[in-house]
Amino acid sequence: MPVTYELLRSVSADLYNRSLRKIPGETMAVLRKLELSESNPVARNTLAVMQASAQAAESKGFFVCSDAGVPVYSVKIGSRVQFEGPVKQAFVDGFADLVATIQPPLLQHVTNPLTLERGHSGKDMPIVTYDVIDNADYVEITCSPKALGSGRWAALEIFSFPSLAEIERYIMDVVIKAGAQHCPPVVIGVGIGGTFDYAAKIAKEAILRPHGTTNPEPILADMEARLCKAVNATGFGPMGTGGDSTAMAVHINYASGHGFTPVAVCFNCWINRRRSARIYNSGVVEQFE
Amino acid sequence: MINPKRLSLPLSRESVQALKAGDLVELSGEIVMTAGIPTHHRIIDYLRQGKPLPIDMTGGSLLHLGGLNQEGPDGKASVAYLNPTTSTRFNRFMPEIIRGLDLRVTGGKGGLDAECAAAMRDTGCVYLSFLGGGCTLLSNALREVTTVAWPDLLIHYRLVKVRVEGLGPATVGIDAHGNSLYGVGEARAQERLPSILKQLEEDRAAANSLVQRDL
Repeated sequence: MPVTYELLRSVSADLYNRSLRKIPGETMAVLRKLELSESNPVARNTLAVMQASAQAAESKGFFVCSDAGVPVYSVKIGSRVQFEGPVKQAFVDGFADLVATIQPPLLQHVTNPLTLERGHSGKDMPIVTYDVIDNADYVEITCSPKALGSGRWAALEIFSFPSLAEIERYIMDVVIKAGAQHCPPVVIGVGIGGTFDYAAKIAKEAILRPHGTTNPEPILADMEARLCKAVNATGFGPMGTGGDSTAMAVHINYASGHGFTPVAVCFNCWINRRRSARIYNSGVVEQFE
Repeated sequence: MINPKRLSLPLSRESVQALKAGDLVELSGEIVMTAGIPTHHRIIDYLRQGKPLPIDMTGGSLLHLGGLNQEGPDGKASVAYLNPTTSTRFNRFMPEIIRGLDLRVTGGKGGLDAECAAAMRDTGCVYLSFLGGGCTLLSNALREVTTVAWPDLLIHYRLVKVRVEGLGPATVGIDAHGNSLYGVGEARAQERLPSILKQLEEDRAAANSLVQRDL
């Protein structure tokens, strides 16, 4: 049995819908942990209100944030997957279905960057990137909607044969520029190496890595730990009103490249929206955070 | 959780001046909200032309909250949800608006810059930081929509006056005396940066994984 257009259409819409109403369980656990270690009383209170807000959204089935962002999907196609019907169109139609039926309705966030007109659809929307998983018999889809609040502060710069010190300095400069703006505590994704486009892609993949997992590359595992400590020493704190909790985690990916080394840095706000599914050739659908 | 100070709108200049950066508050009464840059352009156009705004905000509040307002079958407007939006993108408009409307309360998330803080000190106005991602909790405070103005604008850009009960908690991010948690936060981070970089250097040296050679 193939993976059908209908299934891709309904599952992609469902993932976006669910990502808006529940924050990942492990993100809740990090907020709780930060609340316990936070020394600033206002920050501690903000962290408690964040958890209360996420719990209220989950129990009422309501939006965590009014800004649903735009739909962004990462799709990994197993090399043994068989499709029936169009794939790209399934995401476009799934989004249109959701816009037409979702309650409460979505605000118009899809923006034409040339005219600044906004609506519920537009060129290249949803934003979908495709990759391949060798030998798998499923398609893995992750929806991670993106809005201005944290999306605005991502940055990329290209260096020549940089030292780790230069790379870390750049990451700190991006963090300080973002300051209080991205609804901290944030997850920070970093991509080092590859090419201009590839560094951004692996930074985004890094941000989606579940919390508490150790980076398999020892150099990066160390870098993640010291950078997380460094970001939290800035003192911006929850919602940027001061405190010890600015980052929930720093996740870093790398790729080999030439002597020019792009460093891409991106942020997910504290609600850390994401929802994934695997659709198997058998038609079975597994959803996870 | 800390109990917020309960404030009834409209606020007097004296009660605004009694608030300090870092205080937690909760609002009851009528607020005016918008999330649109075109709305700010239009407010300034009206102020410069001396035209009355469709909602009188003089001495009142203008909050950067985005929300879904809709008309029911009975023709009555309601707001299904609201949540703060990034205020800093309105930095260039707010000094003139704060002074022109003699605002007591503004807010959203992410704060406003030093020029806005100076305008707020002049008029006696506070900036309130609402929880980004607080849609469900904040929307619980909605009671009634009084006015929806400028329906030609995008839904969340419209100027909307709503009555709320217990909207919050919000943190006073900038008080009426020029104290800004955002200004302090930026200065603190810059001041700490040299010692943060030094610590990173020490941690790098301590990590056995440091394998880079001079290439």
